[in-house]
Amino acid sequence: MKKLLTLFTLLLLTSCMKDEIMEPIFLSEVPETLEISDIQGIKLENTIVSSEVRMNIKLPSDGKYRVKIRDIASKLVSQEELTAKEGDNILAVYTSSLDKSSYTLELVDSNNNVLGRAVFVNQ
Amino acid sequence: MKKLLLTLLLICSLVSFGQEKIALVNSSTPSQVGDTLVIDVKYQGSAGTAKLTQFDFQYNNKLLALQSRTWKLTSTSAQKAYNSWNGYKWGNNTATTDIDGEYADYVAGNTSYGTNADWSVERVTIQDVTAFANNDEWIQYKFTIKDKGTTNYSDYSNLINLNWGYLNKSDGTDLPVDGEVDGGTSLTLTGIQGGAAGNVSISISSNVIANNIGDGADFSYTIITKEDMDDGDSTNDVIVASGTFDTAGDATVTGLENDVEYAVWVTIDDSKTYLDNVVTVSDLALIFQEAIGAGNSPNGSTTTFDYYIQKLLGDVYFPEGDDPFTINFQDSYEVLAYLQGVTSTNTAYITKTGGAFNVSGIKSTFGNKGETTDYPTFSPIIKPTDTNKSFDFAHALAGDVNFSHSYQPANTNDFKISSMVIGNSSTLKTTSFNASRYQSVDANIDLVSQIVDGKVVFSINSQVAGMIGTQFNITYDNTRIELEDVIFDTGNEMTNFANHRDGEGKINIGSFDQSFEQTVKQGTPYKLVFKPLVELQNASGLVTFKVHEGVRADGTQINLRME
Repeated sequence: MKKLLTLFTLLLLTSCMKDEIMEPIFLSEVPETLEISDIQGIKLENTIVSSEVRMNIKLPSDGKYRVKIRDIASKLVSQEELTAKEGDNILAVYTSSLDKSSYTLELVDSNNNVLGRAVFVNQ
Repeated sequence: MKKLLLTLLLICSLVSFGQEKIALVNSSTPSQVGDTLVIDVKYQGSAGTAKLTQFDFQYNNKLLALQSRTWKLTSTSAQKAYNSWNGYKWGNNTATTDIDGEYADYVAGNTSYGTNADWSVERVTIQDVTAFANNDEWIQYKFTIKDKGTTNYSDYSNLINLNWGYLNKSDGTDLPVDGEVDGGTSLTLTGIQGGAAGNVSISISSNVIANNIGDGADFSYTIITKEDMDDGDSTNDVIVASGTFDTAGDATVTGLENDVEYAVWVTIDDSKTYLDNVVTVSDLALIFQEAIGAGNSPNGSTTTFDYYIQKLLGDVYFPEGDDPFTINFQDSYEVLAYLQGVTSTNTAYITKTGGAFNVSGIKSTFGNKGETTDYPTFSPIIKPTDTNKSFDFAHALAGDVNFSHSYQPANTNDFKISSMVIGNSSTLKTTSFNASRYQSVDANIDLVSQIVDGKVVFSINSQVAGMIGTQFNITYDNTRIELEDVIFDTGNEMTNFANHRDGEGKINIGSFDQSFEQTVKQGTPYKLVFKPLVELQNASGLVTFKVHEGVRADGTQINLRME
């Protein structure tokens, strides 16, 4: 009986709340694992990678950027040039053609300024 | 006169007493482990009255193994006995001939035997009714020389000592007696060969290690005896030791014997994918230059190579009847065919993944000039000894004439071809020895992939001038993209090549001008177009690059760097 009364009271209280609290919250399209709190940067969904991993590159403005993959000696082994929009861009890194090793992913702008780095292990 | 007689009497007495001796005489000449050491125990004296003797000697049982004791007494009336104890060592002075003095100490309780696992004691007792005669041999001991390599001893010194002893007359009175072992107070053997060599160190030198392309653990060694190697029948070779080097290129080998000659072969793990980068357009340039006879004489009959070893590494094709160590167009053709992915029906010694052709030998003589020819020589032979248990080896790979993955010999006349010092007017050949042309120079280049109109376009953008050859070894993700087109824009007279191995997702592209005059055009000389096989959001990681190099007319490798 007590439980029933409590439930009824809660329902009554809820119905009396202001409407703006009930407004729907729009979830971001960026998964929590790829969220970047800074204004710019790069983040991978996983650190240990096999075949493919999602990445978020968060950019300060629309434009051309490069994603570079460097080996342990900082030697460039792959790079992509892409046009992307300001804010979050959920993309992918494909790792099947990379040797099994650890690499550093580097995001640079058109002036070769490094906007962020992320390290992953390809296995 | 009285004084003179007294002096003579004293001298005679001293001489007479001094001659009583128990001697352990080495009557053998052991020279190696396993040989027999023969010790004859003799009485050397002239008193003619000694009828009882007892003495102890000790031997190092880690270095000597007792084989036998054989009585040698000729007297049939002698009573004799021996006793032995293992694990004891005389606690008093052994560096003395005064063995009856040591005996006196022993019976007085001043000294005794202590336990010591390395030593064994033999006690000999002989009593006869007739006096011992000078030079009587009492007993003979035989020992086997043991391997010091398995012990804590570094040599064969101080193997046997006489501990104590005495001589008695029949009435029980003592005769002063000395003891002697091998003319002194102990037996020492020198020059004993053989036996376990213990830890033998072998190191390997290669640019694979020096340039961090791989590491020492990619190399392994196999050791057989030189005798086995020389018998000409490799099917019966017995591998004495084998293993891999550590990451630094060092190995500690056990199971070898001192003073035995061995042949050591060093090989590289041929599954390593970097072996596909050993033979490149830079090697082709050097081999081609040699093949066209661009040497330092007007008729082109001398060599363009700098090192004797290049004659071996560059001679990738030598059918029966071909001059050994001679580079001709067939060699350069085979390398060009390899780079272009053209299947040759010939067996070419070009190193690649799954097919490494190893050359190894003692580093100090690796590829030096033969005594009677200009051919390079290599020695795989080592001989561990007591004083030398460390050996440095070098390793090279067939086809690798620019030493990118091989040991480059020292810049001395033993290894380099001295005729290279003479200059001439040829524009194609090297006019002086220039070891630096085997050190790559850097130049910047841009390799980038993009999604363009739904396709993945990989562009090679170069502003580098003076390259008569280039090579790019590209790997792509063949599960996601498929090569659709290769676009060359290198200039009208360059010979371009594209070696596509679809199943492996690999393509080697490049150019080479056989006249050594045309150079690769600046701009975007190469472009690869791939068709996506799956839906792609972008192109990161789809195309990766392994080798990216150029070559100048003098053979210098240009390491094309990307920022």
